Amino acid sequence: MNLLIALMVIVPILCALFLNLLHKRDRTIKVVTVLLALALPALPLLANYGLHYFGGYAPLVENPTLSANLPSMITGTALNTFHPAITYSFQSAQQLFVFILGLVALLAIFVSLFETRRPSGVYAYMMFMGVAAVTAVILTDDIFNLYVFFEIAALATVGIVLVSNIKGNYETALKYMIMGSIAAPLLLLGIALLLGVTGNVNITDIIYSLKNGLVDPQNPVLLMACGLIIFGWLYGSGLPPFHTIKSAIYSKALPSGAALIQTFSVFIFVALGIIILRIFSYLPFSQWVILGVSLLAMILGITMAILQTDLKRMIGFLAVGELGYIGIGLGLSTAYGITAGLFQAVNEAMITALLFLGFGVVLYQTGVSDTRKLGGMMVKNPLVALMVLLAGFAMAGVPPLNAFQSKLMLIQGSIKAGLPELGVIMILLSIVTFMTFMKAFHAVYLRPQPVDLEIKNEKIPKATLIAMLVLLGVCLIFGLFPQIATSYLQPLATSLAGGML
Amino acid sequence: MIIDVQLASLFTAVALIVIGIFAAVFLDNLIKKVIGLAFIGDGVNLFLISMGYKAGGIVYIYLPGMAADWFAQNAAYPLPFALVLTSIVIGASTMAVMLGIIIVLYKKRGSISASKILGE
Amino acid sequence: MIVYILMIVTILGAVLALMQRDLLKAAILTGVPGASIAFLYQYLLAPDVALTQAIVGSAIIPVFFALAVYKTRRVEE
Repeated sequence: MNLLIALMVIVPILCALFLNLLHKRDRTIKVVTVLLALALPALPLLANYGLHYFGGYAPLVENPTLSANLPSMITGTALNTFHPAITYSFQSAQQLFVFILGLVALLAIFVSLFETRRPSGVYAYMMFMGVAAVTAVILTDDIFNLYVFFEIAALATVGIVLVSNIKGNYETALKYMIMGSIAAPLLLLGIALLLGVTGNVNITDIIYSLKNGLVDPQNPVLLMACGLIIFGWLYGSGLPPFHTIKSAIYSKALPSGAALIQTFSVFIFVALGIIILRIFSYLPFSQWVILGVSLLAMILGITMAILQTDLKRMIGFLAVGELGYIGIGLGLSTAYGITAGLFQAVNEAMITALLFLGFGVVLYQTGVSDTRKLGGMMVKNPLVALMVLLAGFAMAGVPPLNAFQSKLMLIQGSIKAGLPELGVIMILLSIVTFMTFMKAFHAVYLRPQPVDLEIKNEKIPKATLIAMLVLLGVCLIFGLFPQIATSYLQPLATSLAGGML
Repeated sequence: MIIDVQLASLFTAVALIVIGIFAAVFLDNLIKKVIGLAFIGDGVNLFLISMGYKAGGIVYIYLPGMAADWFAQNAAYPLPFALVLTSIVIGASTMAVMLGIIIVLYKKRGSISASKILGE
Repeated sequence: MIVYILMIVTILGAVLALMQRDLLKAAILTGVPGASIAFLYQYLLAPDVALTQAIVGSAIIPVFFALAVYKTRRVEE
């Protein structure tokens, strides 16, 4: 039993509770927050791979002293291998995901301390709780535990939006919670149907029951469960029909908060997508549903981004579009395709966080985020403009940055799987992404400054520059040496495609 | 009686969910929307509990003096009850957060009609 | 027999609570489906969940709604 696996969820919760109590002392909050946030990317690097059973209750197969006394009615059947406790499984792919989540969270928390005039303990509390919840969603092997932490992540997102003082944030938060309180109970209903048919909430045991004929896989109740769980998944990750409310959430949060919220969306998408593939991949149409939803997300997201005038909403819609690429990778169901999709997820989290931080500098300096009113920022801070330009190139897939490698793998995977039309659509949408980004970049940085634009704060906080440099550096490393990331993701992809998990 | 108890409670749960979704989507007043959301949560919890019901069974508390085999055969399935305890509390806390937001919105905008506030 | 009466009371109570124009009456009537669901849990062989639902669903939730109505407006517009 490796205790560090459980600590990866417990440590952020404890940090959150502790930071909530520090109110008035500015310097103390800043120093303590940064020290605690350093633990977030460090813990996954230190933990060993393996399974963790809460309470120490291993399955009877691994516990010979207990199972020797039980009648063969229990030990001779499948009950011997069932997991009685909540299980967290930590393998190489989860290590990469939790590390990237921790890195983006560290940088977002670091930037948020210098964004407003006084650092707020409550804001740090919300961010740490969100990180704890999404870490648990990535690690868990128990589907009800997933639902509990899914709800906590939704509440933390709403909290991050409520803390920012942007006009209209209360209305957006209320709309998001009302939609969430319809979608999340429907997810629980799907979990209840799965429990009713198979009698288990542990995902490994559910898959064992389905594959070895303990329950009938073609039961229509299972189809309904699949539909309801997919509906809850669409809400949690911000795919259509929830893409407008998700991009509104991004636009009403402070830039560091928006960077963190979109990382939550990407990793909830990946974790729930992997679980749906594991349980329901035997259904003939599940692959087509995932492909269809992702295609819709790509097309709707990127085309709606062209029409936006608010900077953060535009990046929000672009982020939804990039989620579609990940879904296509998952939906191809070959080992190469799934590796490409997961690699795209890792890249996407970092690139969109970088874009939010970059355009957040503009917001910090002028207080305006409408592209029609901005202009001429290139003269003020050429370094930030260069970094934002590189981030935009990265999102569109220009070599030698990381999204080029993952999009190339996706296009190759779709051709190998016999669907070259998807490759063509992906290339077209990358071109549209590039065009949209260059339009916004020209409007903000290149054209002459309008007369009525006033600069509120001249100096940019150094924290933002450091954060953006770190993220760009990691993007370059993944772009030049993609084997670093794909070697972590390969084992999971192979076992998913082989259908053994 | 005529209908199986488990089947009847499943129907009640689905009826509550449908009433709740109808109220949350179509009614105009914000407080009635939140009442509908509370009913959706109640319906899903009732659905979960009726998954664990066993006709003619006993409560899942093991008193000393019971034979273990007879208890395992006749007790109701205890796993859904643990899930429902958590789910009731999650539902109550999200209700509280939503009502808090509604009170603040009333002070700022002066109305609790959904078309005026959320309609944009 | 009692089980079926409780189920009908639940559904009727839910529909009645949503049809009120006076919001305070709607908030108090939300306690009726909550209490009858608590009774129903006892008949479905779950006594501990019945205790939790009785406290939360018939005491805490109607009080939350009544507080919200008190701080906003009493009659729907």
